[in-house]
Amino acid sequence: MDSKTKEALIKIVGPDNFTDRLIDRVSFSYDSSGLSRRPAAAVWIENTQQVADVMKLANEHKLAVTPRGAGTSLTGSAVPQEGGLVLDMSRMNRVLKISIEDRQVVVQPGVVFDDLNQVLAPSGFFFPPNPASGKVSTIGGNVATNAGGIKGAKYGTTRDYVLNLEVVLPNGSVLHTGSNTMKCVSGYDLTRLFVGSEGTLGVVTEITLKINPKPQATTTCTATFDDLPQAGKAVSEIMCSGIVPSVLELIDSANLEAVNQATDLDLPEVAAMLLVETDGYTQEEADRQMDRVVEALQNNHAGEIVKTSSAEEAEKLWAARKASYGVLTRLNNNVLAEDLVVPISKVAEMLAGILDIGKRHNILIGTVAHAGDGNIHPVLVYDGTNPDEVERVKKVEADLFKLALDLGGTLTGEHGVGMSKASYMNQEHDPVFMQVMNGLKNLFDPNAILNPGKLGLEV
Amino acid sequence: MTEKYEFEKKYRNQVLRCSACGFCRSDCPVFGATLRSSYNARGKMLLLKEVMDKKVELNDELIETLFQCTTCANCSTHCPSGVEVPEIIKQARQDMVHIGSCHPVFKGMHEVLQKHTNIYAEDEPADIEGRRKETAQYVYFIGCVGAYREEEATAATLQLLDQLGVDYTLIDEACCSGVLEDVGYQINTDLAGKNIERVLDTGAGAIITGCPYCSRTFNNKTQFAALKDNGVKVFHLSQFLKDFDFGVQTDKRVTYHDPCDLGRHCGIYEEPRDIIRKIAPNFVEMAHHHAEALCCGAGGGVRGAYAKNSIAMARRRLAEAEAVKAEIVLTECNSCVHNLSNAKLRRQKFKIYNMSQFISELLKAA
Repeated sequence: MDSKTKEALIKIVGPDNFTDRLIDRVSFSYDSSGLSRRPAAAVWIENTQQVADVMKLANEHKLAVTPRGAGTSLTGSAVPQEGGLVLDMSRMNRVLKISIEDRQVVVQPGVVFDDLNQVLAPSGFFFPPNPASGKVSTIGGNVATNAGGIKGAKYGTTRDYVLNLEVVLPNGSVLHTGSNTMKCVSGYDLTRLFVGSEGTLGVVTEITLKINPKPQATTTCTATFDDLPQAGKAVSEIMCSGIVPSVLELIDSANLEAVNQATDLDLPEVAAMLLVETDGYTQEEADRQMDRVVEALQNNHAGEIVKTSSAEEAEKLWAARKASYGVLTRLNNNVLAEDLVVPISKVAEMLAGILDIGKRHNILIGTVAHAGDGNIHPVLVYDGTNPDEVERVKKVEADLFKLALDLGGTLTGEHGVGMSKASYMNQEHDPVFMQVMNGLKNLFDPNAILNPGKLGLEV
Repeated sequence: MTEKYEFEKKYRNQVLRCSACGFCRSDCPVFGATLRSSYNARGKMLLLKEVMDKKVELNDELIETLFQCTTCANCSTHCPSGVEVPEIIKQARQDMVHIGSCHPVFKGMHEVLQKHTNIYAEDEPADIEGRRKETAQYVYFIGCVGAYREEEATAATLQLLDQLGVDYTLIDEACCSGVLEDVGYQINTDLAGKNIERVLDTGAGAIITGCPYCSRTFNNKTQFAALKDNGVKVFHLSQFLKDFDFGVQTDKRVTYHDPCDLGRHCGIYEEPRDIIRKIAPNFVEMAHHHAEALCCGAGGGVRGAYAKNSIAMARRRLAEAEAVKAEIVLTECNSCVHNLSNAKLRRQKFKIYNMSQFISELLKAA
């Protein structure tokens, strides 16, 4: 970075909030995807004005800028441009307003997901999307990737809760989208456009979220299966049974083995396990829904079915499930998590296909799934230092994407496109779709300075 | 692939196993105090990965992160991938010292322990009044912080042992020097030898340590194997005191800070709580406790080398004590007492004690 730009940045954020030190540049080169590109510098942001001033400067100098929260992206969407600038938003981490009467909360982008729910807990309300990385991921990052999680089937994803945003555009102007109301059709829905845009259109500096009253009662059950696709069939029947579980997760044998290595849960190492939670405002309500679930599980030849109303036991299960990405490196030194979604009726077919593809290319695939919304995460476990295996992993990835698309699915449900799926966007979308995407990008960011190389865009 | 450094030889697979999930952001006390991602375990592992890939050299530029770790083990305890971060960091520090890169404070600490018998380079023996006998059932081993910085707490502990009728003796202590391994050097065998000789001279069957770090050094390090070989057991004070009935209680609201060296490193969580249950019925846990406890920021040499961040870590911990409206914060480590006390804000009216000091005060008031 030239000294003039460096001086200008220091003038905006202060000397303590600028770094071009090697230790920081290495750290900011990566996210959780394993991809990396080395930025020239990074700034820690404290307020909206600083973002506006930095963007204006970057726009003038055509300097690539990548906003970043906790850097837990699994697709490289937080990996900066080589020689670019990172905006670390994690120090803008204040909950600005909690308005229970309006069922709203206003936060800065660096607030950590779990921290927000801890702050909300005494009020009996919660922000439902529950990403596996929630103990560290930031709301800003959740918005940028439209993060989902284990509550998706019943409660949806981040997008369903964002009422309005404050966004700094690449030219430094500040845009306010949406309104503070529960409904709003006053103009284009720019809020939803920004959610999931992976920091390619603007830098989100303030977020107003809708919050929900938290159901007070839950029932949890686990069910084992000797056959992975059979668990998929059980999922389809549960989702047709007239109730919507608050959690419906699938864990396969590789994950069960790794979880057992990492915890003292001693889970049965069967072909697949379903973890189901139903919730309600009374225990009876939760239990009655669970009765329907158990019926569907039994109809689909589940082995052992174990129910619990103990929040503590359930919490251990969810914690283990959320750590499944990391625990798989206990089986080998590299993991690649995919994020396919298929129509719920196709879950069993997709699961069978995953087994087949893994076998064909001799790559271990550990699969977890937010099965209730058809969101399947095959996680490829391999030796990243073996070029032959790395090559086979690429083939597995291509085959998985093709199968998901053939089944009427999508490349990504909640992780985003980032860098890792960028080259596959043309397979999922037609030229007109990509043309509109590129047109929108050019409208907001004509100099293509914001998070370049993401989403399969031309810039 | 040629492995240039010892850390690669020993921990290559561990470093590669870090999936960069970033979960350590919620565990690392240095990150918690600074929100600077190069300081947390992921930041450190990525750096070491680049060293292994020959993209980055181990050199002075890396001191600031590799030497800024309290080795509290909160990251490794909760790491989904099972990466033993503190062990890797300690080895990388040794590699750095080997090539001449070291934080000046740690270099100084090493030099001090070549010439002196305590980390504070104080030549006068510690001014502690306590029993000195030729033979005794137990040796009470104070440790450097207790002997030279928390003398009042130590005096109270000795008084308690006297009151309980424990047959103990003090010895002319030398630093256990376990900390040197943490900061890139080796345990000083001369100092270890002096301690072993003096303990064995007393004929004691066990050492009771006031410092959890000394306890784990004596128990786990090969330089002290002669203790075990001669049938000398090593306890931390909390393990020793848990079976006593003190006959005193407080109605004050008490909380407990788990020292990393006692908790995560030795798995001793319940013994101190067993004692507290007897003396303080109005006990409350802080938001993070047991294996989740926040580090006080003193360990791994960070207090000496990065005082500002060390104090910031202690303040995060004290904020948790304040949040549960504690009147008394108990802990079982002089180093924690020292750092937490230094960090306490004027508005924070609670008092911070070592458990034995607090019991001693209760007995005095009874």
